[in-house]
Amino acid sequence: MDVAEVKSSNPQPTVHGGGGDTLPAVRFSNEDILFCIDVGRETLAEMKVNGPNGRPYTRLDSIKQAIMLFVHSKLTINPDHRFAFSALGKSTYWLRKEFSSEVDAALSALRGLSVDSSSSHADLTQLFKVATHEAKKSRAQNRIFRVILIYCRSSRPPQSQLPSTLKLFTLDVMYLHDKPGPDNCPQVVYDTLVDALERISEFEGYIFESGQGLARALFRNMCQLLCHPQQRCIQDELDLPMSLVKKSPAADASQGDENTVVSIQ
Amino acid sequence: MAIDTVPPLISAQINYLIGHCPFSVKVEQMWSGCKNPNLLDRFTLVIPYCLDHVKWDVIFNAMYPLAAPDVIFGPEDEGFQPYASGTGQPSKNSLANWNSRDPSRLYSLIVELRDAYMAFQRRRISEIDDERVKFEFSTMISREGIEMYMSLGTDKPEEVKFAVPLLDIDLNKLVAGCTWRHPQKVYLQVIFPVGKKYSSVPPPPRLKLISSPELKALLSTEDFKLPTWVDGMCTAEYLPNLEQMLNTQIKDAVSSIEIRRKFIQSLAPHLGRPIEADPVFCRRATFLCSSGLFTFQVHCALSLQFPKQQPALVLQSSQHFNAHGAPVKSPTLSEYPWSPRWNSSEKADRIFDFLADEALNFKKNCNQLNQQ
Repeated sequence: MDVAEVKSSNPQPTVHGGGGDTLPAVRFSNEDILFCIDVGRETLAEMKVNGPNGRPYTRLDSIKQAIMLFVHSKLTINPDHRFAFSALGKSTYWLRKEFSSEVDAALSALRGLSVDSSSSHADLTQLFKVATHEAKKSRAQNRIFRVILIYCRSSRPPQSQLPSTLKLFTLDVMYLHDKPGPDNCPQVVYDTLVDALERISEFEGYIFESGQGLARALFRNMCQLLCHPQQRCIQDELDLPMSLVKKSPAADASQGDENTVVSIQ
Repeated sequence: MAIDTVPPLISAQINYLIGHCPFSVKVEQMWSGCKNPNLLDRFTLVIPYCLDHVKWDVIFNAMYPLAAPDVIFGPEDEGFQPYASGTGQPSKNSLANWNSRDPSRLYSLIVELRDAYMAFQRRRISEIDDERVKFEFSTMISREGIEMYMSLGTDKPEEVKFAVPLLDIDLNKLVAGCTWRHPQKVYLQVIFPVGKKYSSVPPPPRLKLISSPELKALLSTEDFKLPTWVDGMCTAEYLPNLEQMLNTQIKDAVSSIEIRRKFIQSLAPHLGRPIEADPVFCRRATFLCSSGLFTFQVHCALSLQFPKQQPALVLQSSQHFNAHGAPVKSPTLSEYPWSPRWNSSEKADRIFDFLADEALNFKKNCNQLNQQ
């Protein structure tokens, strides 16, 4: 299969983390970000901490909250970024096709999420095809396109055919999985996702995984995904969040924050 | 439930107009004037003119899609009849040559009408019986890009406004990486009262410096101190000194970008590589930090008065949410130890110290809110 590669005209991500070259005066584009959220039955797995009403807090619950954290934060950083939403059962379908920078649009798209228990294997071909098509539109408006895939299946790596044109958009992945065991293969899934990311992503794509069931870790990873693709360093050099602890008196090690994920009423 | 739609031929005209117009025209409202109330075939255009706007209604008829539109001007412009005189060359009249299938026709029409409106205003002003206005008109009329407007009182002309573009330099080229769509300009707005009798020397006109909207990221016209208008001066005499001052201010504003850039870069060793920062005007940067297991963002905003004015900081939790599901933010922090005379690395050190302490406060406050 002939695959065309679009060479990015943007500078390569910097390798060293020193301050001097963090902010070169280059063109900067606002983002169109397409979320693709796994709705297979493994999203019903429970996280380690109960939700606000003492009800079980599932992966899907934490994903929704993590996405709202991302959207709110991203819009505080820059109100011109936009978001659209899709879900992944066996293949991908739209939750909200029009890109919007309104928080309410994100909220109502996430309300449309429902678990599809029948799907066990997933195919990302359609997602990549749609993203390639949408990315062309964004690029025509001097925006950049990004897909954030949130994947939750521990036993089946996703299948995909590569789109005919590569590197038109950035691909990030958040992978939530069970602990490795005899009946599953999260490492294989992870490696498949890394492979897709490396072939497809225009700018440095980031992939994070979490098997501990801690919402706090998921939220931290989502904040790391806030990094603007045109300003990223390579993932191996990513040293965030930066610890703000002074060298002198001992910092306060307050207990409450380890599993803190609650709504304030 | 029927949905309001814009007929495709009309929508094509509007899209072309908005995409190609050299000035930023907006559609303010749309409504239906034909038998089908769901077909929106009429709309109001808001057109920038003389540092203000004029509003013109464009009237199509969805039942007759091939027909040219009517245009209705504002009530104070009853005398504006652009194509009325028989001497107008036919090729210049976009209404007479209307082709509904060519989506650029509305654009041509609006550009033509705006030019005609400018000529109309100039004619009106040239006819005003006021010595100073006549003099100002004669000395300023040839200045490229100037726009003039006459406002009416109850019965007669009340004020004359000039919008004088300043500095013949391409501001868009001054800033590396900037993506301003329209050419940016700074204007001097000069307003003369009309018809008053003065004993000796007429008082100075009202003067204001106004910049095109996107320029605000680079330059603040509010902070610019206008030179004094000496009694007996005219606009032509006032301009050279003003332009020289403005030129200096703009040069300073451009070099301030680099000062802000250097500052953001100096924060990186302490606060980490920013997760996003504005690389063109360097007005903002966000960092991702932690204090123990508590992860939070630091939003940093630099005003045009930096470094005299210190950065405004806001912390945002990644683990605490309010009733609307939004991550909790701290109030804006802008009172902390600061001196513009410190060098970059001292400024960064001090901000780090402040944030290390403030993060603990913020964490405590967030946890307390949780427990309520």
